[in-house]
Amino acid sequence: MNSCDKCGNPNIIIKKKQSGQKLCKDCFIKSTQNKVIKDIRKYKLIKKGDKILLGLSGGKDSVMLLDILNSLRKRNIIDIIAVTIDEGIHGYREEGVEIAVRNAKKLGVEHRVVKFKDYFGITLDEIIAKNTLKDGRRNACTYCGVFRRWIFNKVAREEGATKIATGHNLDDETQSIVMSYLEGNIHNLTRIGPKSEIKNKKFTIKIKPLREIPEKEIGLYVIAKELEVHFAGCPYAIESFRGEIKDFIKQLSNEHPTIMYSTLRGFDKIKTILKKEFSNKSIVMECEKCGEPSAAQLCKVCSFLESWKK
Amino acid sequence: MQIKLVIGEKVDLIEINNNNTVKDLLKNMDIAPETVVVKKNNCIVIDEELVEDGDLIEVIQVIYGG
Ligand SMILES: [Zn+2]
Ligand SMILES: [Zn+2]
Repeated sequence: MNSCDKCGNPNIIIKKKQSGQKLCKDCFIKSTQNKVIKDIRKYKLIKKGDKILLGLSGGKDSVMLLDILNSLRKRNIIDIIAVTIDEGIHGYREEGVEIAVRNAKKLGVEHRVVKFKDYFGITLDEIIAKNTLKDGRRNACTYCGVFRRWIFNKVAREEGATKIATGHNLDDETQSIVMSYLEGNIHNLTRIGPKSEIKNKKFTIKIKPLREIPEKEIGLYVIAKELEVHFAGCPYAIESFRGEIKDFIKQLSNEHPTIMYSTLRGFDKIKTILKKEFSNKSIVMECEKCGEPSAAQLCKVCSFLESWKK
Repeated sequence: MQIKLVIGEKVDLIEINNNNTVKDLLKNMDIAPETVVVKKNNCIVIDEELVEDGDLIEVIQVIYGG
């Protein structure tokens, strides 16, 4: 007979494959919140007085993160500014933006929508339409990632935020680890983790409070709590290597339900050594065009923008 | 027996065999259980849940692949 391991309620909504734990709706919500708060303490992600810039796409991960961090805001431990980036992906982003607006409003959280178009003069759709893969353009996720990082970092300083929090989950993190291994990109590996390090005072620390929560449980959380969420896949995701890795890990997880946890645990154990050996000590300078921190004279954003001018 | 099946905007009345679980149902439709949350008569249920005549089954996709 199935019943909740914590309270005995016969209506369970999850039977965790990795641990066998069975939980009812209320106990699942409570235990997920506790786990996230515990991880925030364990990895020292947040301290009292932090102003958190929360990347709010309107998708399940960021909506759940807002829901949980808002409990810290209500207790006056932190301040939150939610920021939604509009990349300009027609037929996809509009709905996400609306949902983000409603979620922030419902909780009374300060919110800004910032557009690629306003900061760079170009939308992601335009970038992709103007450059073909044959002409050697990179896949959409590469541009999106580079431009988003730039905006978050810039807006964090504009708003006086002390941390940037994103909704990366266990699946995302495992994908990043496996991808970096398979690509032989050891430098990228050294940057994976719950909290980034400050290499330059113009960089704001990034934190990932949902890093140990499986994506499926995030989906379950937002439905159990009846949060309004944008459930849709980005139309450009099919272009990515990450997508292939995602399917591959999903498939493995069917027969080996603990595989994402063991990948993450194993990685976290070797990370200190990796960092000592492979973290590149390159000096961080300032981009001569935009002034953002950069590894070269021009940052990646400005060098992409320059290359399209020709 | 007959059930009402809701997937996204799509609503269908479908015939299924007795003693099917949610898991069997998803398998027949070629949906990976790890990517969805299923509600039976408006309550979230697990894969092992038995589907009975007249049930309203809602399949909500929560994970989008690459
Ligand atoms: Zn319970
Ligand atoms: Zn620049």
